[in-house]
Amino acid sequence: MRARTEAWYRGELLLSLVAAVWLLTDQSAWAQAPAGSLGQEKISSERMEEIYRKILLDWAAGETDRAPDELIQLETGVIVDGEPKTRKTLFEAEQRVIHQVGTADLEVLVPISVLHHEAYRRLLERRTRGEAVAMVHTRRMARDLAVLYYEQSGSEGAALVTSRVLTSLGGMLLQSAQQLPAAEMFQQAVDLDGHNTAALLGLASIYEKNAQAESAVKILRRALEAEPGNAEAKLRLALNLKRLDQAGEAEKLLGELVAATDPSWVTPLGFQELARLHSDRGRTSEAEKVLRKGVERFPNDPRLKIQLAAVLDRRGAAGEATAIVEKLLASPSLSAATDASDRFLYNTVRPEAFEPARSFLAENSKSRLPVLAQALSAPAEASTGTGVGR
Amino acid sequence: MSGRRTVLTALSLSLVLAGAAMAQRAQRAQVAVRIQAPTPDQPVFGQTDVEVGVRAGEPIDRVEVFVNGKLMGSAKTPPFRVQVDVGDDNVPREFKAVAYTASGASGTDSVVTQPVQIMDELNLKLRALFVSVIRDGSRNLGLGQEDFRVYDNGVEQEVVTFGRDELPLTAVLLLDTSESMREKELEAVRRGARAFLDGMKPTDEAMLALFSDRLLKFTPFTADKAVLGSALSGVRSAGGTAVNDFLYLSLKALDARQGQRVVVLFSDGSDVHSVLPAADVLWKARAGQSLIYWIQLGGKRKSFTSAWRDFQANDKEYDDLEKAVRESGGRVLPVARVEELEGAFRNILQELRQQYALGYYPTNAKGDGSWHKVEVRVKGFSGRVRTREGYADY
Repeated sequence: MRARTEAWYRGELLLSLVAAVWLLTDQSAWAQAPAGSLGQEKISSERMEEIYRKILLDWAAGETDRAPDELIQLETGVIVDGEPKTRKTLFEAEQRVIHQVGTADLEVLVPISVLHHEAYRRLLERRTRGEAVAMVHTRRMARDLAVLYYEQSGSEGAALVTSRVLTSLGGMLLQSAQQLPAAEMFQQAVDLDGHNTAALLGLASIYEKNAQAESAVKILRRALEAEPGNAEAKLRLALNLKRLDQAGEAEKLLGELVAATDPSWVTPLGFQELARLHSDRGRTSEAEKVLRKGVERFPNDPRLKIQLAAVLDRRGAAGEATAIVEKLLASPSLSAATDASDRFLYNTVRPEAFEPARSFLAENSKSRLPVLAQALSAPAEASTGTGVGR
Repeated sequence: MSGRRTVLTALSLSLVLAGAAMAQRAQRAQVAVRIQAPTPDQPVFGQTDVEVGVRAGEPIDRVEVFVNGKLMGSAKTPPFRVQVDVGDDNVPREFKAVAYTASGASGTDSVVTQPVQIMDELNLKLRALFVSVIRDGSRNLGLGQEDFRVYDNGVEQEVVTFGRDELPLTAVLLLDTSESMREKELEAVRRGARAFLDGMKPTDEAMLALFSDRLLKFTPFTADKAVLGSALSGVRSAGGTAVNDFLYLSLKALDARQGQRVVVLFSDGSDVHSVLPAADVLWKARAGQSLIYWIQLGGKRKSFTSAWRDFQANDKEYDDLEKAVRESGGRVLPVARVEELEGAFRNILQELRQQYALGYYPTNAKGDGSWHKVEVRVKGFSGRVRTREGYADY
């Protein structure tokens, strides 16, 4: 697995290589680093290092709310869109600190990567405009540090951690509609951990959205091998098989999905699509039966009712269809829906899908914070010339 | 004497015994059968469970189920239930059950189910046509009932009602407020919708529905402009687009209304998230009597793919939606710039006011769902005449 991953990264992860190369070089080359600015204040690269070190100290001390915001403040303050040098300056300052602490213990790369990951998540959440380069920078830091950690460690545990970082970042990229970079992240995550269902589903959803049903089917079969009961994988597989005119298998999968006693967020979609499949094949009575069961099981789902009304209308039961629509329009819950519909989430991204990866990262970061604190407390000079990459 | 009595006693005893045996055989032979489902008042389509109750003095060998004289299946053990597929035609069907006992005795029951009766009601319905006639850019042509000829599948019809700007209008303003709508566009839509509402007469009613991938806000049908106007404020764009689902819902809501019925749809038409295909909207437009006007922001079709449909399927959706609009007798109003939106809403209301309303009872109605092509001609007129292209005869 490692050999394959390295092959991946050879061409793809330039920044990671830059970081690795940097870790192998003498720091003195950067002694005369250029200065940047933080807001109105001009600051030297040494001052940037100092601030970054302080942020890492806060993070290591468990200041999980404050430290990511401080990092955002530093990075968005220094980096100016349209001025590439500002990013380079910051990058180099941060790398010097990482090198100092990383030489003491490789494990510190995990909490630092997670810190950048959290800063990126917050930046996305705030929908800050005009911070594009800073966002890209902190996301790359999160990714490159995770990859570097795996490259240097090579352990199965490191593969799992790195795979989760990539999965979560992929999820966030998907949230901001950046499908291709997201696909790249998911693919790398899957290469590191073939059982990573969240990454497999993320990747399949991108193929699906880009009308590459055959590729989606291959990935989704892998997802179901890894997790046979995964309802979302079943639904996506069924819909892609339907696109490939394999309606028989699609119907079987949808049947299993709606028959499952433990409902998932895609179960109402399963009812809708199974009914749709029947309707498309001219079996409106079967569609009606499925929808009646769906409405019984999910009485607050307006779409199942709209679909049932449409099927009844077509079957000549216009009166019942009208009654369903009138009742639906009189229902206060119809316009009280503040959340995105399931059909919208299916086509975009459901943030909860990446929560398990984030929890995993939070735990793994937390357990390594004492190591980071210890590395930060060691004098900078003492770490020079030892450890990572040597 | 004594010997004779003995003979008589023996004879009467044998008769009694023979009578008892015959009664027992008769009891055994009596097989009571009742079809419990479907019931005669039940319309039946597709997969149907036929449930049969049987009472007999001996074990039942089998129960056979026939539909319209054709053996469809049998059951050997109680409860006697046979699933049959009767197809989707809306027609009467005869269900017959025959139960056989082990000794070969049998009993039977039959039930005739009825088709859905809504068709008969529709056959008697007046078909309303709203006709736009334009000559040299003008709609004020002073035409009378005698100027119009209506042809239904080529057969001339008697126009029984005629009017202009007399029928009350019921409108659904169906406004796409998905996240692709910027505030500038939303504001222009609000202005346009308000202009439409301001132009409504006291007898007119409207329902306002703002949608994305879900219904964000809607009102009931009302003539109260304050209620309608207040629904326009405070909505922000959010989510995806589900035109088909909410257009179907609007058309269906208009089914129960009278007079001139119209849906004014504002959307770019790029439906991503509907569960209903546009073909269902097209079917509804054909089967109903409402007009659809589509204010099409952007003006041009955008080919796209989503997790729900690929390029081809999305293109078909767009085509079907345009077809539904055209066949309903409404039209597509492409709007390239937001500044044109208000004018588009005003134009639609003006057009509706200036349409001629013609009513006729189709002489060739069959209620079989077939497509009836409608043509309206104006005597001695070579300008543009627009009305619905036809209807599905339900």
